[in-house]
Amino acid sequence: MSHLAAGAAALRRRGTPGAADPGAAGAARVSRFLSLLSVAGGLAVWEGLARELPRAILAPPSAVAWRLAEGLVAGELPAAFGRALAHLALGYALAVAAGVPLGLLMGRSGRAFHLLDPVVAAVYAVPPVAFVPFLVIWFGLFFPARVALVFLMCVFEILLTVAAGARDVDPGLVEVGRSFGARGARLARMVLVPAMLPFLFAGLRVGLVRAVNAMITAELFLAAVNLGGLMKASASRFDTAGLLAVIATLSAFGLLAQEGLKAVEARALPWRLRR
Amino acid sequence: MDTGSGRTGRGATRALRALGLAAALGLWELAGRGAGDALLAPPSRVAPEYLRLLLEGTMLAELAGSLRQMLVGFLLACLVGLPAGVAMGRSRALDALLHPWVGMFVVTSVASLVPLFIVVLGTGFAFRAAVVFVAAVWYVLLTAYHGARGVDPRWLEVGRAFAAGRVRLFRCVLLPALYPYLVTGARLGLVHAIRAMVVAEMFIIVGYGGLVYNTGLLVSTGPLLALLATLGLVSLAATRALRWAGRVLAPWYEERLPLA
Repeated sequence: MSHLAAGAAALRRRGTPGAADPGAAGAARVSRFLSLLSVAGGLAVWEGLARELPRAILAPPSAVAWRLAEGLVAGELPAAFGRALAHLALGYALAVAAGVPLGLLMGRSGRAFHLLDPVVAAVYAVPPVAFVPFLVIWFGLFFPARVALVFLMCVFEILLTVAAGARDVDPGLVEVGRSFGARGARLARMVLVPAMLPFLFAGLRVGLVRAVNAMITAELFLAAVNLGGLMKASASRFDTAGLLAVIATLSAFGLLAQEGLKAVEARALPWRLRR
Repeated sequence: MDTGSGRTGRGATRALRALGLAAALGLWELAGRGAGDALLAPPSRVAPEYLRLLLEGTMLAELAGSLRQMLVGFLLACLVGLPAGVAMGRSRALDALLHPWVGMFVVTSVASLVPLFIVVLGTGFAFRAAVVFVAAVWYVLLTAYHGARGVDPRWLEVGRAFAAGRVRLFRCVLLPALYPYLVTGARLGLVHAIRAMVVAEMFIIVGYGGLVYNTGLLVSTGPLLALLATLGLVSLAATRALRWAGRVLAPWYEERLPLA
């Protein structure tokens, strides 16, 4: 279904307030309730099981929550997190700066795509962590190497998603633009860019999740500082509560970052209907 | 998926791809000569190293061992993830129950789970299989889920109109419609399984990952790049094989890659 048809359908629905299907709203409420029930239930089961096992096997959620609170109050966790964000931000920014233009180029130009694709596919096929020894040789064990790993881990995702999106711009839209006399820059601004924005955002989102992963990977496989250092210290003490606290923080951050980008996308692309 | 319109024909495409590859190799050679073996061994140095490693046998032996352990985790991920994903896609209730957990786990970094898994499971086979499983299962599940959700209800209507029972509907309508998604899910899962395999192995320095780690400590980057090349080739071959399997299973269906 094209964006235009979906948008038109959404407008028609929004245009008649109160005509929303009551059945659908009820079903959505039940779904939300079930989701909350599932999370609560899961945590309860985890709490029950973990109380029976020794701490070294698996800490219960209560212990993890306590450790999180402790870490927050002591300031240790936020400080480590803040420092880790540095190489996340720089690596991600570099990946976006490289991946988006290249992706657009590869998407719009068939020739560029066929020229660059073999190399991109070959390097992308290698698991990024395997490059760590190579990065150590080039960048050392600290900040520059961490930035390089973050870059390496998200640039291909961004590039490939943007390229796929740029390639699939509905030619019908381009035709309509051309038939109204738009050319070159005008065409790009009024038709191409808005049509590609959803895929741009998808690329940014996927890249961001990978970047958050890369942030902690870098601190575990290179010099163990900040969060990675906390994790290694916890691991050596068999402190699963500490480990889970950091994991939970990272997952929560990943989810928040993803939702944040979705919110920005919703603002920037109000016409786009998301399922 | 149109990759370049009718203007560039098949032959031109191949020529461009070959040109791109050749240009990249040429640049690599030049850069390698300039930077030296310790920083970037050029292809002319990596190729003989590659042959040497191949004949010596360690590389292939470690690779086989690592892949075997990876496959256990991956197959388990498929066995669990595919049915679960389809079930979630067909049942609103199940979807509501499981989706928050799936959503939480899919953004969790595999690397962050490794220290926890080591504490809980040790560093043996269970650990390596578990890491691969946890890395791959969400992608398999979500792809199957999207496939199951997207099954055209009209096809099911036609099936019901011909008085097909539940099992028949599943076997003759739902399953064939799902094939491309199941295969794509397996493919995505495999990519993440291989990645997780390397993460786990490099952390505790065993298997192929351990070999890469130790080779990285050598003075020349030649052997290291050779090992990385093998890893890349394995990954490409695996995804090619699954794509081929997909075409064999469902030749009528042009494969569509769902955006995660």
